[in-house]
Amino acid sequence: MNLSYWWWKILGVLLFTYVLTRGLLTPLKPGIEDVSPNRAQAGKSLSLNIIGYNTNYTKGKNTVYIKNIDSFYITSQAVQVIDDQRLNAQFSIPLFLPTKQSLSQFSIIVSSNFDGTSIIPSKLILHQDSINQEQAQLLWLSSKPNFTIINKYHFPYRNILYETIRNTFFHVSLWFAMFALLAASVFNSIQFLRKNDLNYDFKANAQVRTGILFGILGLLTGSLWAKYTWGSWWTNDIKLNMAALSMLIYMSYLIIRAGIEDLDKRARISASYNVFALVAIIPLIFILPRLMDSLHPGNGGNPAFGSEDMDNALRLVFYPAVISFILLGFWIADLVFRIQVLENKTEDPNNY
Amino acid sequence: MIRILALFLLFFPSIISAESTDIMRSSGKINVVYGVILIIFVGIVFYLIQLDKKIIKLEKKVNNV
Repeated sequence: MNLSYWWWKILGVLLFTYVLTRGLLTPLKPGIEDVSPNRAQAGKSLSLNIIGYNTNYTKGKNTVYIKNIDSFYITSQAVQVIDDQRLNAQFSIPLFLPTKQSLSQFSIIVSSNFDGTSIIPSKLILHQDSINQEQAQLLWLSSKPNFTIINKYHFPYRNILYETIRNTFFHVSLWFAMFALLAASVFNSIQFLRKNDLNYDFKANAQVRTGILFGILGLLTGSLWAKYTWGSWWTNDIKLNMAALSMLIYMSYLIIRAGIEDLDKRARISASYNVFALVAIIPLIFILPRLMDSLHPGNGGNPAFGSEDMDNALRLVFYPAVISFILLGFWIADLVFRIQVLENKTEDPNNY
Repeated sequence: MIRILALFLLFFPSIISAESTDIMRSSGKINVVYGVILIIFVGIVFYLIQLDKKIIKLEKKVNNV
């Protein structure tokens, strides 16, 4: 076996195997799925039912906290463990809340010495009849309690997303691979225009075709993911529509190619079209969604790959996933390219 | 064969949603992840079958010369 020929294909397969196993087998961090009731009155006692996800409440010592946005806390008076996923916590809520409003949102924090600390943000609404901030600051804890931090290898837990956070490795990597393929095809198109060698045209065409395959799969997988997180197969999210538009731009690349008989003319026109297509889709996919509101992370002001969306546990699988999809994409494109070269040779008898 | 696969790929989302919305939402929506992997797998296989057909055509041409 010729290693210099096979190594990157083997690397792609190995990385993909790693992504599948590590990406699917790593558990999610224990989290809080739901809390009820989610409204309460200041000055009264509150019995809070907590439903956990991936939690082991029976195995640890649990403490529950209510926290407001300015980091004032109250601690649970008693915690009753029902089973691994269910807790009941008793609070007596002070008469005054540390806020100027009569209604205010609070987060629930569960700290366990087995699972670590989990939080459900802005889930509880508390209501107070009279407002007295100075009194409230005495009644609420202003120092941060000692939360147990457990460093296990976990993917982050997010409400609504749950296990689908693993789709980051597949759906997002498809788009990264598509861009790598399209960028490489533009490079080959420019090489063709400079050197007039048809092989570059075949290469560019093969990479565009594989890029389109990845783009369509990206749209389909994104649609399935959207259905179960955003609630609809297709939303009016700007990134979705722009991605679909850029797919159409590349579809017309294929149509233009199919319409021209003369090989040299076809190569010349499609190469220049290809350069402009990439220039057109960069604002469509990278710039416009960042200017408008979008549901996608990293658009409309929310950071992608910042600490909110990506943590180191995800990165450890995500980057290999991107590399493996790029390598597999170039492998498929290479096969398409070689088939086209052979087709070209067999069509012209002089080439034998 | 390709048509069946293409149809499957096109209607796959509606097939699963028609009968199994609860399955997709149960156990932390893990089945959405399996669905995504299945779509990618079927899509790539579909593409490979097309490539295979092109190679069959080429082989016939070469063998006839």
